[in-house]
Amino acid sequence: MKEELIKLHYDVVSGDYLKAGESSSNIKKALMQLGIKSDIIKRVCVACYEAEINVVIHSYGGCIDVTIYEEEIEIVVSDEGPGIEDIDLAMTEGYSTAPETARDMGFGAGMGLPNIKKNCDIFGIKSIISKGTEIKMIIYFE
Amino acid sequence: MNKLFRALKLNEENCRGCTKCMNKCPMEAIRLKNSKAVIYEDRCIDCGICIRTCPYSAYSAEKNSLCDIESYKIKVAVPSTTLYSQFGSNVKPFQINEAIKKLGFDKVFDISYASDITSEIIKKEIDKAEKPAIGVFCPSIQELIKVNYPSLLPHIVKVLTPIEISASLIRDEYLKKGFSYDEVGVFYLSPCVAWIPMIKSSALNLKTKINGIIAINDIYSNIIKNLENEKNLSTKPSNISYTGLSWAYIEGASESIGLKQFIAVDGIENVKLVFDDIVNGKFKDVDFVESYACNGGCVGGTFLIENPYNAKRITKNYFDKINFTYGVKEISDYYHKEFSGDVKNIKVVNQKLADDFMSAVRKMKYMNELVNMLPGTDCGLCGSPSCKAFAEDVVRGLASLDECIMIKNGGEKNES
Repeated sequence: MKEELIKLHYDVVSGDYLKAGESSSNIKKALMQLGIKSDIIKRVCVACYEAEINVVIHSYGGCIDVTIYEEEIEIVVSDEGPGIEDIDLAMTEGYSTAPETARDMGFGAGMGLPNIKKNCDIFGIKSIISKGTEIKMIIYFE
Repeated sequence: MNKLFRALKLNEENCRGCTKCMNKCPMEAIRLKNSKAVIYEDRCIDCGICIRTCPYSAYSAEKNSLCDIESYKIKVAVPSTTLYSQFGSNVKPFQINEAIKKLGFDKVFDISYASDITSEIIKKEIDKAEKPAIGVFCPSIQELIKVNYPSLLPHIVKVLTPIEISASLIRDEYLKKGFSYDEVGVFYLSPCVAWIPMIKSSALNLKTKINGIIAINDIYSNIIKNLENEKNLSTKPSNISYTGLSWAYIEGASESIGLKQFIAVDGIENVKLVFDDIVNGKFKDVDFVESYACNGGCVGGTFLIENPYNAKRITKNYFDKINFTYGVKEISDYYHKEFSGDVKNIKVVNQKLADDFMSAVRKMKYMNELVNMLPGTDCGLCGSPSCKAFAEDVVRGLASLDECIMIKNGGEKNES
């Protein structure tokens, strides 16, 4: 069993675009203080921010749970919401169900999930219709 | 007694131990120890906000004086483009150059030429950087990236600043004329303090070496005196480039380069917001980011006299009045390589709490416990700018827990 070294928790409020990004900035600072390489930190930030924005746009609210292990970081982003009907389709670049207003702001270009996956070493997603979605991201430090 | 931190001198007699600079420092780099300010040099980015903030003028910059040029046989001035906005709208750049020359210089180098070269190299190099490309022309911004945003290093366009390019061109010119390296003194007439440590550290590269920094406010009255005598000069055609001059204010560089999808941001807190967004992968359709520590760009520098917003107006007038630009198009391979090479030698400042990962983890756990224990009022009485910064200081061994009066008096917050 891997030892959980540091745990961080952030709540994500539905529709709160303004606060989105704060958690990844905090995670960035913590990883810098732990001496993690900057290219790894950037991948963590991009993945975490995209996942957070998804919660802001699509769900009724959720949270981010970060666990730092000796050799990796695990970020679980879970929400309560409509869930994803067709995960394969959602993983396709350019596919988006984001409302027009969010897209006008540059959010929801249908690159979120594919982009998250691209930045992760291990990526998992499960979703239950009318209940919610959970994304699990693991990025190795080396 | 004077204490030296990077380029800043702190006159400890003037420092009363108020918390103004500590609270205003955007890098949380200042502490109060025994009621005197202390700067953590690894976090300081030389922005000069402490100089501006201190009500008792305790801070000053470690800069050169005009006398220092006398040590060189050939004395060359490189005036910042901001200088031309400091004497109102009616004085022409060539008159200002003549007035500078009379301070004792053999040559006044036209930095607008170097700015035009920088613009052209950026055009050629911008696609090699990760998008959005970041143009780093402000030494404080370079330091900010080193300290807080090392993950943005791949975004930086590899190009020297116009100041370094000027130095290189001047050295080549005088070497060709038969002067030895040490005979030529190159002095930058600077709008801000940030160039002082930057130029000290670039001394490794002899080609771009600047011998000294002269603060514009120190020579301002001398230039005005000399300008009085220049008034009678008949109007010569201006030999200064409007595209190069526009580098003095925010957006000027991006506009000169001909970019459309750019962000221009000033003030460190604002720059941080933009950089955070870049790290998070926002701004997918932005090509270029131009950023400055000072409000308004270089015209907002600490060593300048004119109000930065008026200085921008005055500089912008040149856009209409001058129709000369060097419009550098062809740059030899030799100079392209020299001016775009990885010579900046950006060394990231390490922020880790301990050398090995597991010790850093232990310190972080303790730090998080402390944050929960501290009152969270950020009162500053401990000498750190916030409770969080204090907790970090404690785990780093830079402060002791009983310096918090709430802890000392047993008034700790217990719920967690």
